[in-house]
Amino acid sequence: MKDFDLESLSREMPYKMPEHFMDDMTERVMSQIGKQRKQHRERRIVALFASAASVAAVALLFLHPFGGGLDIPDYDSISQCASVDDLFQNMTADELGMYSMMSNYYGN
Amino acid sequence: MKRDQKDIVNSQGSLSVSDESIARLLCDDNHVEEAMRLIMKKYGEQLYWHIRRMVVAHDDAEDCLQETMINVYKYRSTYSNEYPLSSWLYKIATNESLKLLKNKAGFTMSVDDLGDSLKDSVREEASPDADETLILLQEAIALLPAKQKMVFNLRYYDDKSYEEIHQIVGDSVNTLKTNYHYAVQKIKDYILEHQL
Repeated sequence: MKDFDLESLSREMPYKMPEHFMDDMTERVMSQIGKQRKQHRERRIVALFASAASVAAVALLFLHPFGGGLDIPDYDSISQCASVDDLFQNMTADELGMYSMMSNYYGN
Repeated sequence: MKRDQKDIVNSQGSLSVSDESIARLLCDDNHVEEAMRLIMKKYGEQLYWHIRRMVVAHDDAEDCLQETMINVYKYRSTYSNEYPLSSWLYKIATNESLKLLKNKAGFTMSVDDLGDSLKDSVREEASPDADETLILLQEAIALLPAKQKMVFNLRYYDDKSYEEIHQIVGDSVNTLKTNYHYAVQKIKDYILEHQL
């Protein structure tokens, strides 16, 4: 039976690689990697901000529980406001004249 | 970059960086891009031809090589220097080639059923001035089952030892030897049958 010596064959391939293929491929791969690195950095920054925001929110909750710092009007202090009559009594003659002129003008 | 004693300057004056140096750079976030360029320069062509022998068409080899390099970057932290860097790279390239062939085979066929269509692609892809025996050899390889094809290519074209092929493919050395033996026999039979 005939035999065939594989070792005697050239290791060449019957195909060709397009010119500059490896250079183009290198640049394409590096650009992909650059994009992935950028995305990774952005994700890390967002994660960092998110964790900082959660820490700040928790800290705020402990320092000012349930909105203790809000300025809700104190009705006792409203009664301490000067009455309108007192205001008129303390007006000078000029101020009273101006008040009466403006009242007439606006139809009060 | 810190040079290793194994980094050597070749006769053309360009630096041939050792795998140990490349692996170190690859694991360093500040030098990973430099490592990727070095890998492309040192192994890009070898990996391209390894993939091309598996998938035959240039366009498929192009996609596979790009995916291989992206995976090298993505999974760089999994590289362990108990194996040579080249074996790890070949393993990723082999997996990518098999993945592409599995996608081509779809749900109804296995990768080994693609033999005939791969064989037809050999002639379409061959250069007009290609040697007929080399075309026949590639057709014979295309018809081999995937495992035999991998083992044959790695041994015949890439001069890998059975130990290295074991690191890439994963089977025992004895199984690999059997696969190679069968592959050689089938290739010889095919060439003898089709040679004018």
